[in-house]
Amino acid sequence: MENNDILSKINHDSGMTVPDGYFADFNKRMEAALPTRPWENAPAKRERTLWQKVRPYAYMAAMFMGVWCMMKMVDIMRTGTDLSQSNINQDLVSAVANDTFYNSYCTPLMEEDDLYYDLYADGFDPENIDFGE
Amino acid sequence: MAPTSDFDESLLVQRLQNPETCRDAFGEVIARYSEPLYWQIRRMVPGHDDANDLLQNTFLKAWTSIENFRGAAKLSTWLYKIAINESLSFLEKERKHANVSMDDEATHLIHAIEADTNIDGDELKLKLRKAIAMLPEKQRLVFNMRYYDEMKYEQISNILGTSVGALKASYHLAVKKIEQYFEEND
Repeated sequence: MENNDILSKINHDSGMTVPDGYFADFNKRMEAALPTRPWENAPAKRERTLWQKVRPYAYMAAMFMGVWCMMKMVDIMRTGTDLSQSNINQDLVSAVANDTFYNSYCTPLMEEDDLYYDLYADGFDPENIDFGE
Repeated sequence: MAPTSDFDESLLVQRLQNPETCRDAFGEVIARYSEPLYWQIRRMVPGHDDANDLLQNTFLKAWTSIENFRGAAKLSTWLYKIAINESLSFLEKERKHANVSMDDEATHLIHAIEADTNIDGDELKLKLRKAIAMLPEKQRLVFNMRYYDEMKYEQISNILGTSVGALKASYHLAVKKIEQYFEEND
């Protein structure tokens, strides 16, 4: 306790001194003694032009536009071959689905082979036929 | 003795990082920190001339590596670290040069303190300096920073890279040893 009193009595003062005007003198000497650093002689940085500032954003916007165009192109190409229900002619669908219509208009009534078969069976000879020309 | 943090250190750091304003800003650093750093060094090395040389080395080192200072730590913390490293390296060299062990260093320091002419002549303060010289190097450092510089433990912790708990214990032990020295040398 008594010695703690000593520490408080001394009041954080070490009792050490410096010559008069030492710090002011030191500061001047020290500043003068600082060596020149390489970057001190480097040319001053030029002010960036507006285009230099905007350029990265312009490039980025162009890149996004390119990607968007590519995606649009792919989309267009895919839409051209789209077989979804919305692009099929519904009249044609119902017509093909109608057996009567299909048999009447789409299915040949007679096979050509059958016709030739009958002709040959009746002694038809293509060499001797007269087409009345 | 510790520099107050009333001023805006970040502005000074910004100027230090700009090549055009760096030299002027460093002049301000010298003006602001030369005194607290001097006392920090002087309490570790007994003579004024040695403290003066070490202070110069501290600022030269700081100046030549200023581009490495990015402001992650406080400027004062960085400067104190350099100053303390300089002081400890100096003491190590002195020990090797005088061929004395760390145990004998106290006697060596006490002789140097007695030979120091830059003192105010107060016997009690001189006695305290001698008591502090008896402390191990790191304990002496902690005591000086806490007692003379009145630094907070957190600040000392940032400078020395030691935990606050260890610093408190170290300071407490240092005070006990000083008390004992005063009792024995009453």
